[in-house]
Amino acid sequence: MPPPAATGVKPMRNPLSPASLLEGASESGYVRSLIAGTVGMLALLGVSGLAFPDSVAGDLAGIVFSTSTATSTARLAAPIVLAGLGGIFAEKSGVINIGLEGLLIISAFVSVYAASVVGVGNAVLGVPALAIAFLAGIAASTFLSAVFAVVCIEFKADQIIAGLAVWLIALGLAPFLSTVFFGGVNTPNLGVSVGWQYSATMVVFATAGSWWLLNKTAFGKHLRAAGENPKALDTVGVSVSQVRYAGVLLSGVLSGVGGSALALSIGQFVGSGETMVQGKGFIAIVAYLFGNYNPLGTLGAGALFAGLDAIQIRLQQLGYAIPDTLVQTIPYVVVIVVLTLVGRTQIPEAAGEHYETEE
Amino acid sequence: MNPAVHLDGITKRFPGVVANDDVDLAVERGSVHALLGENGAGKTTLMNVLYGLYRPTEGTVRLDGEPRSFDSPRDAIDAGVGMIHQHFMLVDPMTVWENVVLGNEPTTWGGLRVDREAAREAVVELSERYGFDVDPDATIADISVGEQQRVEILKALYRGAEVLIMDEPTAVLTPQEVEELYGVFEELTEQGKTIIFISHKLGEALSAADDITVLRDGVNVGTVAAADVTREELAELMVGREVLMDPATSPRETGERVLEVTDLCVEDDRGVEAVSDLSFELRGGEILGIAGVDGNGQSQLAEAITGLRETASGEIRYRGESMVGQTRRDRIDRGMAFIPEDRQERGLVMSYDLTENGVLGSQHDPPFARGGRLDWGAAQDHAESVIEQYDVRPPDADAEAESLSGGNQQKFIVGREFERDPELVVAAHPTRGVDIGSTEFLHDRLLELRAEGKAVLLVSSKLDEVQGLSDRLAVIHEGEFTGVVDPATVTEEEIGLLMAGESLDDDSVERAAIHDAGGAPDEVDGGAADDEGVDA
Repeated sequence: MPPPAATGVKPMRNPLSPASLLEGASESGYVRSLIAGTVGMLALLGVSGLAFPDSVAGDLAGIVFSTSTATSTARLAAPIVLAGLGGIFAEKSGVINIGLEGLLIISAFVSVYAASVVGVGNAVLGVPALAIAFLAGIAASTFLSAVFAVVCIEFKADQIIAGLAVWLIALGLAPFLSTVFFGGVNTPNLGVSVGWQYSATMVVFATAGSWWLLNKTAFGKHLRAAGENPKALDTVGVSVSQVRYAGVLLSGVLSGVGGSALALSIGQFVGSGETMVQGKGFIAIVAYLFGNYNPLGTLGAGALFAGLDAIQIRLQQLGYAIPDTLVQTIPYVVVIVVLTLVGRTQIPEAAGEHYETEE
Repeated sequence: MNPAVHLDGITKRFPGVVANDDVDLAVERGSVHALLGENGAGKTTLMNVLYGLYRPTEGTVRLDGEPRSFDSPRDAIDAGVGMIHQHFMLVDPMTVWENVVLGNEPTTWGGLRVDREAAREAVVELSERYGFDVDPDATIADISVGEQQRVEILKALYRGAEVLIMDEPTAVLTPQEVEELYGVFEELTEQGKTIIFISHKLGEALSAADDITVLRDGVNVGTVAAADVTREELAELMVGREVLMDPATSPRETGERVLEVTDLCVEDDRGVEAVSDLSFELRGGEILGIAGVDGNGQSQLAEAITGLRETASGEIRYRGESMVGQTRRDRIDRGMAFIPEDRQERGLVMSYDLTENGVLGSQHDPPFARGGRLDWGAAQDHAESVIEQYDVRPPDADAEAESLSGGNQQKFIVGREFERDPELVVAAHPTRGVDIGSTEFLHDRLLELRAEGKAVLLVSSKLDEVQGLSDRLAVIHEGEFTGVVDPATVTEEEIGLLMAGESLDDDSVERAAIHDAGGAPDEVDGGAADDEGVDA
């Protein structure tokens, strides 16, 4: 046998330490520039607004830094960020869930329905109606995501088509059920609404929890392996299917929180047109792509998109004729720019692919 | 003392194929054991039995004398058997330590947190003990292939492997990394680990292993100590003495020049030259065999001739006409048939039935094409006639290609190609993965074609096949012919040497088209493209 070879070859060292808050170095730089850019823009706006209080900049600064804009941003951001966090879990595991919109719709309706059945102010076994409403919304969304998971993982359906089906089913089913139970596609108003503080709290906790789950737990590692190289996970004896089911079900749970929060913050389900969810599930996908599958980035992107929407609404109220449809295209334009020019979003290698274990 | 691994009378049957036939294998603790054989000899199947991926049809797996039965690779891992696959099972964007502990992460806080420090420490401790130079925090995508292989070894060691199975461990390594791997073997065996590695390279088995077991056609044809055996003896064991065909298929009158290749260079998918300045000619009524270890440019040569790959330079003339720049369609129209080595990828559309597969390549020609539409009646008649003549089972033209066994798929392809009435047949590994009966049938068909005055270019890694069928035998090594020999007089040992890149200085050898061959170290034979070879 030949002697051990001289160790002349030095391994390439990863120059970046991975232990930072934002696991993965390119990711952290990316999120940092996103945050820095947003803060810089706000600072510029604030300064110019203070300097010229009667200008458009002044109005804009007034809106951006007003409490009402902040609270409506929190309301609008909740479904985007929560569904986006859910989308991260599904896609990291290798299942692209573009049915987030459908999950938001179904949970929005079911939460309002449950609240009206229990009766606002009543309680069942000491659980107040609004809490039951949340739980019901989460259950509905989780159930629908479970159907999606079975279809995609067990029966190996195309994930995109199955995801579209989830959206279309919810888009049809929620207004239909509303018509059956309430006589119209819009439910009557419950007369109560969940305060923005609750939405904000849920978003913060869900973001922090998701970050921990993804980066610090064994489950997070398995999730990532399932989406990047499922065979590697399978050969070390971890079931790829189980990990993927968990990822998709988590997307159902989180979207359920988001959809319920959206409907209950208004106290009504609006089922006309594209329903009250209005594409927030799709913007959620944009948000997590923009945030590069990092919960903190998703929070930032979601807040940014929701903030733009909130500002737009306020500007309309002040008489600026800004077409809302144009503002609503901003997230999509942003994601195209991000994906083509920046190109730093790292889509899991095996996302969208079925996995079958040998023998 | 009991051997660390004892495979006792292992037989593994797949429908229609016996992959392992009553194989015995005993491996001593702390030794390196090479499992040597050609592609399809049953090496990988045998190791999959040991690794719990397959259950043996008959026979017992014993570890340290204890009979064991594995339902899954997980059971094998728990019993201390680790497998390092040829294609690494690593998650590219994750770090070394994350990959090593994947699935067995040490946790704290009641499982809520992976104990990164403990995991890193375990990895560092293991790599220090075995002298691996691996940075636990490096990302897999950033490290070299040799280091990735060491990470795979660490993964197995972390899980408590005592026996390490490595499938073609050198296939993806550079010669220098191969040397480093041998050093790793030494470290591991010194500390009592047992290594079994699969190889089809003689030189590798001789230099790295203590003992060598040779498998041929699923049978253990001998276990020898590496110190007591010569390269020639090994080649003889690997290839076997018997030649399927009677070499008395006497040299016949050859006809006109059908194929003429001059100074041909072809690049592989990575842009590396795979065929270098090859020149040869092929006449009607002649079979030119091309022998060589897989991945030495045979595939690229066949693809260039048949029009599936562009040539880098040089000339290919077919019946006097230059084929360079001509399309695949042009060649089919001129009577060039092709039996591809990957039948499921290039030979058949697996989800088509045999009627549809039977017209592939002829879909523009009568009687199938009529006024812009296909005549399915004619197509079905054609498929049925191929099925009958070539004994394809089940005899059902409506059966989907994927429902057939490999041998029957191959018979159908051969039938389809031969029924085109070709002038030239390029047959790449026509009997790979095919059972013995079908193999002989396909050999007979090739000889019949030759008798009809057609030209055949036969590429095969089975030595007995190319030697038995060919009129002339060219041996290819790293894209060059190391020799063109008379198959009736050449010995297996001589072919083995030529395949390893060495040249012969024998007068009996006709050296028609040699371009500065030889001199290359045998450790590099095969090269990085070896992973194309698939064991049955």
